[in-house]
Amino acid sequence: MSGLPTDPAELTALAGEYVLGTLDARQSRMVEAALADHAELAAMVAAWEDRLAPLNLLAPPEAPPPGLWERIEAQIGPRPAAAPSRSRFLRLWQGWAVGASLAAAVLAGIAFLPAAQGPRMMTVLVSAGNQTAWTAEVDRRGGIQLAALNAPAGQKLDTAPPDGRVLQLWALPPGAKAPTSLGLVPRGAGVVKIETPAVKPVAGMLIEISLEPPGGAPGALPTGPVLFIGRLTEAGPPT
Amino acid sequence: MEAEADLTDLLGRVAQGDRAALRVIYGRQSTRLFGIAMAILRDRTAAADVIQDAFLKIWQRAGQFDPSRGEGQVWISSIVRHAALDAARARGREIPTDDPGLGDTLMEPEALNLLEASEESARLHACLEALPKANRQGIVMAFVHGLSHPEIAAKLDQPLGTVKSWIRRGLMSLRECLS
Repeated sequence: MSGLPTDPAELTALAGEYVLGTLDARQSRMVEAALADHAELAAMVAAWEDRLAPLNLLAPPEAPPPGLWERIEAQIGPRPAAAPSRSRFLRLWQGWAVGASLAAAVLAGIAFLPAAQGPRMMTVLVSAGNQTAWTAEVDRRGGIQLAALNAPAGQKLDTAPPDGRVLQLWALPPGAKAPTSLGLVPRGAGVVKIETPAVKPVAGMLIEISLEPPGGAPGALPTGPVLFIGRLTEAGPPT
Repeated sequence: MEAEADLTDLLGRVAQGDRAALRVIYGRQSTRLFGIAMAILRDRTAAADVIQDAFLKIWQRAGQFDPSRGEGQVWISSIVRHAALDAARARGREIPTDDPGLGDTLMEPEALNLLEASEESARLHACLEALPKANRQGIVMAFVHGLSHPEIAAKLDQPLGTVKSWIRRGLMSLRECLS
């Protein structure tokens, strides 16, 4: 039950009040939650943002406090020199950013495959050591295909978990506070297909693989280290 | 516009994980964006937290920005405004502000002359001027200062229900006028 009005005029008004900022916290969250899946509402909100944007000129510009950029930068991934207390996840995330050029090279290889039914989005999952380990592709029906990559010549790359542990796949959509499980990765599997993932894949979504006890994480959240990570990007139109 | 094409390009680079591109956006936009957050929160510490939160969102969501659906500047501003509105709601914006003059400058007609800056904003200005005064004031106070319906009602000394329907009608008139 979404609680959203079905009448287009009411929906337009709700979108306008959301952009204006007069909705209370509950209504505002309701609109925000619906945006990802409700194309009509999302288009209405975008149109209101566009209409009212010139009002931003009425807010007097003011310089932010010094050091704010450094705070932002520290949050999105530390500089290589300053890292010791960062969480494993953040380091891995940063590793992903650093490894992006390598990933891009692999992506380029994939992108030039004959692609009449090519993937809509994709990413390359990298290990903590920045090795490309898996590709994840999202097809046009929203299914995800995970495929293990072979180790580059002369390098050892093991995508299989140690005995007694399993790999579990997770998705973290942009803005989400916690990842959602997409299921376990069968031991030894080279290719895993998830036809209907528990969360809808969107660009910018992080795909992670964590190491878990047999049967997977007992609760809703990963308990083991994140071994591989990548962020979905649009694959571009098939050529 | 060249600046806009540039911002679209920068957001594309941010989507690829380019931190330098995010730094350039921050350098160009942070004074404007901090002003937007300050107008709503009136507290530099809270506004700085909001800008930090908003830039993290820009970093994470740049891949979702679609230049065919709107300008980068509008996309970025709305992330900042909604982050500031969320912070104001969390703080409990129904608490009476200690600044009795808040929003008063916006009730003076000349304040809106700033909207003559561009052709697009001048169109909005003309449409706002066509609204009854109270509807116009309510919309501007809500958008720029993040005032809630009860706060606007108090400011305009009108019943809450009246103010709600003025604002809604005002929005619909603007939509029609701009179409």
